[in-house]
Amino acid sequence: MSLESFLLLSLVLFCLGLFAVLSHRNLIAVLVGVELMMNAASLNLMAFNRFRVTDPTTGQVFVLIIIGLAAAEVAIFLSIILNLYRTRRTIDAEQLTELRG
Amino acid sequence: MEQGVQYLFVGLVLTGGGMAALSRYVLYNIIGLGISLFGLAGLFLLLGSPFVAAMQLLIYLGGITVAIVFAMMLSIAMTLDPPPRTPVKTGFGAVSALVFGVGLYGAITATSFAAVAPAPAEAWAVSHIGSALLEHYNLVFETLSVVLLLAIIGAILIARPERGDKAA
Repeated sequence: MSLESFLLLSLVLFCLGLFAVLSHRNLIAVLVGVELMMNAASLNLMAFNRFRVTDPTTGQVFVLIIIGLAAAEVAIFLSIILNLYRTRRTIDAEQLTELRG
Repeated sequence: MEQGVQYLFVGLVLTGGGMAALSRYVLYNIIGLGISLFGLAGLFLLLGSPFVAAMQLLIYLGGITVAIVFAMMLSIAMTLDPPPRTPVKTGFGAVSALVFGVGLYGAITATSFAAVAPAPAEAWAVSHIGSALLEHYNLVFETLSVVLLLAIIGAILIARPERGDKAA
């Protein structure tokens, strides 16, 4: 596979993630969409790292750091979801409207 | 042979992504995410980096996906019949994802990425990643560990029940 085909695959994955974030009502499904987008970015970096970079260490370190940051983000997101569920008894994104102006 | 393996992994990525984005049921979303992550790990392997593929399997598939499943089981998301998505929201989501995708596709086809000489095989050794993390990217590495520590403490503080909260 060439660089362009990897870029197209990652484009499709990113768009699926964007659609999931925008359309799902359940906050956990929204988180799944965010993870999809993050992985599309990782795939992009790895493809460029394979085909267009002289030192292949750079992209691999970049992807490892993305994975670590994703773990931190998921921990915070899930604790917020659990707290919302305990106090509001819902994790439906359309019922969490306290901040509506 | 390698072509077939590639198409297998691409198929896994797309199937999982489709399940994660289109299904109404949260459990199917999470299973789709897992399938997609597995396919991506295979693609990383084919892109020449077994170490990143192993980390993808260990941290993402073994850690993050399992954590999401736990959160789903601790909240009510699994037992309730999920509310249907409103057509307005789905429509706007699909339109904006399509517009974004077409724009990005145009950007990809319009750009010609300059080719470089391929790196020698020994530059892909795992030991290079280790020394790069501890020498050139040392600051990033240490900052990431502080971020992870703060995220863990913050998660515990947020998720801990308040004093006197009977519901927890």
